[in-house]
Amino acid sequence: MILVTGGCFQGKTDYACETFGIPMEEAADGASCPLEELYQTRLLYHFHEYIRRLLEENLPFSVEKLKAENPEIILVTNELGYGVVPMDRFDREYRERTGRICCQIAKEAEKVHRVICGIGTVIKDG
Amino acid sequence: MLGLITGGSGSGKSEYAEQMVLKLQKTPRLYIATMVPFDEECHERIRRHRAMRKEKGFDTLECYRGLKSAEVSGYGTVLLECMSNLTANELYQEGGAGERCVEEILEGVRKIRAQCEHLLIVTNEVFSDGIEYDRETRRYQRYLAEINRRIAARADLVVEVVYSIPLIHKNSICPTGVPEGFYGTE
Repeated sequence: MILVTGGCFQGKTDYACETFGIPMEEAADGASCPLEELYQTRLLYHFHEYIRRLLEENLPFSVEKLKAENPEIILVTNELGYGVVPMDRFDREYRERTGRICCQIAKEAEKVHRVICGIGTVIKDG
Repeated sequence: MLGLITGGSGSGKSEYAEQMVLKLQKTPRLYIATMVPFDEECHERIRRHRAMRKEKGFDTLECYRGLKSAEVSGYGTVLLECMSNLTANELYQEGGAGERCVEEILEGVRKIRAQCEHLLIVTNEVFSDGIEYDRETRRYQRYLAEINRRIAARADLVVEVVYSIPLIHKNSICPTGVPEGFYGTE
């Protein structure tokens, strides 16, 4: 697994597609794709939106299952945690869950990239 | 040299940028100020930044919008601060570039870059707080991010400052390593 993170609008998905040689049309949009896509696609972007959808439908997420079924996946997610705690309960849970899940992914991932101003840096390797 | 310096608010990025201007040793120096002083908080901030620049030998040019018309010829080093203000001014002020702010600002950057030896641009990280802002604020984030990305793509140096610690994301001036004492704050 590979995780690509960073703030919104930083060019993360373009960076990931280019770095890993994946055409944009083959990437799955976590905001709208069928939930099962996670286990088939090579690259899923808007992973934070995917997590939001799981929460909205009260569905669990298992990093073990993902690792077993799609170990080569590249996940592109927004960094959500650099602000004030949200007032709304769901927003708080969403932000927290996204952070925790991405920690688990990062732990399992062979590489983690962080993108800022369109420039990626490998912050975990091996 | 074109340098882009980013970071969160209060990260020490302004001070870092000013130190770098001094180390570049190309005079005369020009500071392009973009913040419109509309209340006491702004005046206070401006006073603080003016005190920091005192005796560093900067001329100051106030440019709230219309960067491409700024006359900077004859300057060795130009420090533009801050891109987040300039973008907001162009987008929201009457007479600003509005929808065309990205192209107008990048045109201004190109023109200034062509007139001086070194141009350092300070910008702001406002992209990682996870809040789903209203449409208008999202539009501002999108434009500022595009400006940042496009400047970064052309820049020789891209630095993110975290608690006064510089993280070098791009460095084509000295690709084999960072010369000692050049990039770190003193």
